[in-house]
Amino acid sequence: MNRLLTRFVWVGVLVILGVLPASAQRVRWPRESPPPPLLASDVEFPDYQIRRLVNGLQVVYVGAHEQPAVNVRLLVRAGTSSDPVGKVGVAALAGQLLDQGTTSRSAQEIAQTIDSIGGGLGVGAGADLSFVNILVLKDSFDLALSMLSDVARNPMYAQSEIDRRRQQLLSEMQVNYDDTAYISRMVFGRLVYGNHPYGMPHSGTPESLMRIRRDDLVEFHQRHYLPNNAILAIVGDVTAEEAFDGATKTFADWEAADLPTANVAESPPPENRLVIVDKPGAVQTAVRVGHVALPRAHPDYLALDVAIKILGGEGGNRLGSVLRTDRSLTYSASAEIAGRQFGGDFMARTDTRSSATAEVLRLTVDEISRMQRERVSSRELDRAKDYLAGHFPLTIETPNAIAAQVLEAILFGLDLDDLETYPERIKSVTVDDIQRVSRQYLKPGLLSMVLVGDALTFVQDLPRVGFDSYDLIPLTELDFLAVDFLGAADVAEDR
Amino acid sequence: MKPISRGASVLVVTVLLMVAAGVLSPSLKSAVRPPKFDYHVAKLDNGLSVVLSEDHSTPIVHIELWYRVGSKNERPRRTGFAHLFEHLMFKGSQNVQSDQHLSFISGVGGDGNAYTTEDVTVFQQTVPSQYLPLVLWLEADRMATLRIDQRTLDAEREVVKEERRWRYENEPFGLLNEILYDHAFTSHPYKHTTIGSMADLEAASIEDVRDFFETYYVPENATLIVVGDFDTENALQMIEHYFGRVPKAEKSVPREIPKEPRSEGERRVTLEADNWPLPAVVIAHHITYDGHPDAYPLHIASKVLSDGQSSRIHRRLVYDEQMAISAFGQGNLIEDPNLFYAVALVPPGGSPAAAEMALIEELERLKEEPITDEELQRSKNQFARDYVIGRFTNAQKAAHLAHAAVIHDDITTADGEFDIFMNVTKEDVRRVARTYFTDDNRLVMRILPRGSGGRLLRDR
Repeated sequence: MNRLLTRFVWVGVLVILGVLPASAQRVRWPRESPPPPLLASDVEFPDYQIRRLVNGLQVVYVGAHEQPAVNVRLLVRAGTSSDPVGKVGVAALAGQLLDQGTTSRSAQEIAQTIDSIGGGLGVGAGADLSFVNILVLKDSFDLALSMLSDVARNPMYAQSEIDRRRQQLLSEMQVNYDDTAYISRMVFGRLVYGNHPYGMPHSGTPESLMRIRRDDLVEFHQRHYLPNNAILAIVGDVTAEEAFDGATKTFADWEAADLPTANVAESPPPENRLVIVDKPGAVQTAVRVGHVALPRAHPDYLALDVAIKILGGEGGNRLGSVLRTDRSLTYSASAEIAGRQFGGDFMARTDTRSSATAEVLRLTVDEISRMQRERVSSRELDRAKDYLAGHFPLTIETPNAIAAQVLEAILFGLDLDDLETYPERIKSVTVDDIQRVSRQYLKPGLLSMVLVGDALTFVQDLPRVGFDSYDLIPLTELDFLAVDFLGAADVAEDR
Repeated sequence: MKPISRGASVLVVTVLLMVAAGVLSPSLKSAVRPPKFDYHVAKLDNGLSVVLSEDHSTPIVHIELWYRVGSKNERPRRTGFAHLFEHLMFKGSQNVQSDQHLSFISGVGGDGNAYTTEDVTVFQQTVPSQYLPLVLWLEADRMATLRIDQRTLDAEREVVKEERRWRYENEPFGLLNEILYDHAFTSHPYKHTTIGSMADLEAASIEDVRDFFETYYVPENATLIVVGDFDTENALQMIEHYFGRVPKAEKSVPREIPKEPRSEGERRVTLEADNWPLPAVVIAHHITYDGHPDAYPLHIASKVLSDGQSSRIHRRLVYDEQMAISAFGQGNLIEDPNLFYAVALVPPGGSPAAAEMALIEELERLKEEPITDEELQRSKNQFARDYVIGRFTNAQKAAHLAHAAVIHDDITTADGEFDIFMNVTKEDVRRVARTYFTDDNRLVMRILPRGSGGRLLRDR
């Protein structure tokens, strides 16, 4: 009787609020709870093998035989963070030019060879590594290995190819400098990492690119591209024997050498600073907020990662709830932690219509503050843990995804046994752990904040929500390498 | 269909490979043949189509629900509605609160998402395999009882407007497709892009929502694809249980789409656009639909022109002559006849006129002389690669099966297209180039940065 009454009242409320079920009159449908799961099966991290050649080259093998394809990938433990001082962009250029000619094959011969077998070839450099990645159908496995060896070990760095690629990069920069996502990422990096190479624009700047000489590339390659500084991964439809035999045959004659000492420059201490890059006419503002966090191998990385996921990741995402679900201020809001070799950062990110910029910045900072100040509820933590632990089988679906996890562990010096125990380790994270790492590592009063958008439409709103000091940089004068972000002759119009 | 074991199918592949390499083209390397799908199809009484494909290699399952409705089904002045509606499908049904659909999925470690194209709206989720009943229940609940109020519609409309700003308006070159298709089409709804216009999004009403739901979100307009770790017979029982109770639609799904008339004469357009850092040149030709016999040689033509660094357009425009920082030519082969278009982004100081001439010359060359034997074989090998690496995950497999079942209305094409591609000849490529890359059927566009002096020159 009571229930019936409740239902009548509820229908009345719906009518008053103008709630009209889209499905009105269509169907009689049971009221019910979601069905229980079926029997779960055990999930184990799939098999893989690791061996080391005499010259120090580590070889990882993951077999998979459903699709007739093989992926061979070489990772060199040096990336843009090893750029020589004053030569930002060397690692990226040295990586990008690997497939543009070797001592025995021209750029076009390499392209024709790979294309004719229906292969794919990718080269480049990230923050802590450089890579060559070749994908072929299984009958071209031998060719893939010899091609990989040639481009990784014998790049020509011909002056004509350097000039061609430099010209392309300069043109691409013209596009990047019009892209709020790119600009905000670069400015955020500089704010968080200062002069540490992690904060530098990884492809360089127009000025730094002009300073790079062929000798810089050759030297970078000679210093870092060494077997005792590299990992080879062979993934797909070959046997372990074929993989290791092929690796030995192809790479045994690659000579080891002494490695340069790693660049361990310190990041500057966090500082509260808001930088606005003015891009007149932009219809949205890119909002990026965060600060320095932890290197990948830090013991607190796992717990902080869970905390940041509650703030803005899958299985949680307070930022998404506040900014998208509750207020329709954005299409996407998230936060993530980047753990690298020598440091790391966390960053909250969203993009919002220009007129809502100040409100969104305030709400974002408030959520970081709340994360640091308040204990999370066990219910909220459980939701995040359920996602992360439950997600484990989805992360081992393809051989490449399996290999990626193994390679990450090797690169960052993590315990390989941790791959198998990830779900258990997630399940053991407590509310106390989250509170401890949030208090210890989140510093809501010392945030690097970047806004890239049409400044005229929102700067006047900022003081009202508590942001009364900022650097305002016109896009036309933006210089990523200057401390004040302004091009040479200009004096900073200060906060 | 009785599934065969994976071991057996690999053996078959190896044998076929040897035959192909030895007999079919002795002088050239031949494409590796990928394994075929094992699948089972069914149809419920209410019209729902079902495709099941077991893969027990990982204890997860992927399900997709394809509704055969996209932006080409939108009424005039309601552009963007199909995509807006896709968002609304996450806003609650009888047993599921607003935004709870994805919470249920992430709560078991799964991933869920959706997308809308010109032709279809697709809802997808991957979960640990024991949660197959949950996702079937969730999808059936919203198919039967979606519940949307005015406030939800208003709120989600703002989110979609932010999506439009983020993906298209604030992104360099983000409006390329919108500009191109608006000029290339006159009557067919491919004239507008899936995201739609701000004004039309604003105009969408709760009556539109109900009408769209009742017209298109019905079992007979949907195809359910399940790929992964499950038992076919059990899955069929569950599908019958959860989806079988969704009533059959009372009216049939409308299928009339305005046809695009033949273009009569070349058109040239020059204009300026916002967020446009460098000049772009676009050459577009109307072509046929996906599944038409001409579609396969057109796909090969795309590969000859722009797959890989040795492809014709990349080699000439980007590498040799450096008249573009990026350039390609490709066919957009979808359900109704669409476009083949070539694009070049011209570097600072470069010549749009030269890039335009080079692109047209490359299209003309396909008409004048046959592609080489090497180019044909290379393209087939590249196709085989795409085919193989496009079938690694359950989600990828589901997409291929669904595409065959929904767009081709023939599930056998999921495997059968491989042979069609392998049998394309040099003469086929020249024939389709001559059929479609004609002067009368050409649109030439130059899209320039705002303020650089572009203006509407001629638009017949």
